[in-house]
Amino acid sequence: MDFALTAEQKEFQRTVREFAERELKPGASRRDETGEFPAAIVPKLAEMGLMGMVFPLEYGGGGRDFVSYAVAVEELARVDAAVTITILAHTLCAGHIFAFGSDEQKRMYLTPLARGEKLGAWALTEPGAGSDAAAIRTQAVADDGGWRLTGNKFFISNGSRADTLVVMAVTAPPGGKRGISAFIVPADVPGLTKGKNLDKLGFRASDTVALTFKEVPVPGANLIGEANRGFAQAMEILNGGRIGVAAMALGIGRACLEESIAYGKRREAFGHPIADFEAIRWMLADMATELDAARLLVHRAARLKDSGERFVREAAMAKLFASEAATRAALKAVQIHGGYGYTRAFPVERYLREAKLCEIGEGTSEVQRMVIAKELLKT
Amino acid sequence: MKILVCIKQVPDMESRFKPNGSGVWFEETDLAFRMNEYDEYAVEQAVRLKEQLGDAHEVTVLSIGPDRVVEAIKKALAMGCDRGVHVQDPAASLKDPWQIAAIIAAYARDKGFDLIFTGMQSQDRGSAQVGVTVAEDLGLPCTTTLVGFAYDNGTITAKRELEGGVKGVVRVKTPALVTCQLGLNVPRYPTLPNIMKAKKKEIEAIPVGDLLREEARTATASFHPPAKKGGGIVLEGEVGALVDQLVGILKDKTAVLR
Repeated sequence: MDFALTAEQKEFQRTVREFAERELKPGASRRDETGEFPAAIVPKLAEMGLMGMVFPLEYGGGGRDFVSYAVAVEELARVDAAVTITILAHTLCAGHIFAFGSDEQKRMYLTPLARGEKLGAWALTEPGAGSDAAAIRTQAVADDGGWRLTGNKFFISNGSRADTLVVMAVTAPPGGKRGISAFIVPADVPGLTKGKNLDKLGFRASDTVALTFKEVPVPGANLIGEANRGFAQAMEILNGGRIGVAAMALGIGRACLEESIAYGKRREAFGHPIADFEAIRWMLADMATELDAARLLVHRAARLKDSGERFVREAAMAKLFASEAATRAALKAVQIHGGYGYTRAFPVERYLREAKLCEIGEGTSEVQRMVIAKELLKT
Repeated sequence: MKILVCIKQVPDMESRFKPNGSGVWFEETDLAFRMNEYDEYAVEQAVRLKEQLGDAHEVTVLSIGPDRVVEAIKKALAMGCDRGVHVQDPAASLKDPWQIAAIIAAYARDKGFDLIFTGMQSQDRGSAQVGVTVAEDLGLPCTTTLVGFAYDNGTITAKRELEGGVKGVVRVKTPALVTCQLGLNVPRYPTLPNIMKAKKKEIEAIPVGDLLREEARTATASFHPPAKKGGGIVLEGEVGALVDQLVGILKDKTAVLR
């Protein structure tokens, strides 16, 4: 497998990096402090073409491959992970409609999402069903050719800001067996209540909320694919999503390394820049090595996805390793920065808080290990 | 209306410059290149003018240099220029401003451009001669260091920046040439969709030999970093005397107290 980026991918990377430096960097730390949603940033992401990178041009997307997506996510997360996760959650929603929706649904819902005119959210997790996603209890009851949704969703990124939701709910067609189905739900339907942004350790500017559905009417035309296929659909969407989270972790990790190198050269102790000391050098070397390994895993998974091959194990490995490598890098970055690293005067404490989420969101490290082992033991 | 924008690709100014083997220019390996900052203002203004006038009007972007300058041309196309011209010259850095201007003028002479935009100067050589020499060569009126631009019905109203921040306003009828200064506008970023669209735009390649008939009139004798400064001065003695000494130094050797 050739891991070199094409000239086009490199140009794309440079463009995204410049955009991130110019548009995201100035406010990232402040948004973390205030927890304000980057509402003014989203139209800029849309104009730049970052809300629909991987979707075909005919649906208003950027027609890019998944490797480019991973590259872009890394560049964005290196500067502002909260903005990045907004794109990731949006992409789960749009990606679900793209992968399993009808032509009509794609025209009506995917196109405005891919253009970034509308914001998407993807609602699977519930207060009592995280890793055990099959245990969700939100019900979709057939009603006069359509459905009525009742239940609670939790930790939904973009949940209160989104225009379009993809919602997984339990369907039990009369006489049929219990299954899970996926629905497109416009956010302005009656009966849908959105909670406040949760008070989180990191990603404070990302919108993460509870959603409550009370007899929410959903037209029959908004069922994605067949009834009772929603769980399999969701698992497939999460496979791709893991590459996104892995790339995001990688971006956070790289920010840790870059800050640490800069600080190590600048900060003096005992008459030397601290980067002269072996203890610091070893930390930098370990960070760089682990992040490079993580990048190879991320790009391998993305390349498999681009070539249409199965990538379940590879995506889980990338997510597992990149997120844990990012947390290790962030811990080292804080350590290298010493007392200053523990203050808000330097960004590394934010990176630490952000890195940790990557080990939890879209499948915990434990779930990734389960997925990897299951793939290994398959006959 | 036909508009020409002339751009140069220059090294990122945060690069570390080293004189090359011949000692008359810098070593280019390991440098990252980008569009000359002043030329970005020129591209932005040209594209804004096109937007003001409508799609029937065409903006051509021209750059002289080795293959890498195509990247700068592509950026200008992604910003909104319609077509590109790459004057292929692997040795552009050895040409003097007279020759560079002659190349541009030779290309533009029979094309009927109504307006030519250039940057005020390049960030690497900084001669500030190319724009005005092109105007002279083509017999066009020219106004320089624009910080404001308006166009209406064949007349350009140009706001210029003069020494010490004084502003001047110049009116000039097209055809004309203008050079652009920091403060004229905020250049747009090429968006990803526009980068994709730009890939379909034509870039005409012209070997430099087809356009250049002029010999160089100036030669760079040497390119070198400034001599390393000596250490600082440590003043010692009574506070009163120290203050007098310091004020004297600031007056004589710096612009701080002038």
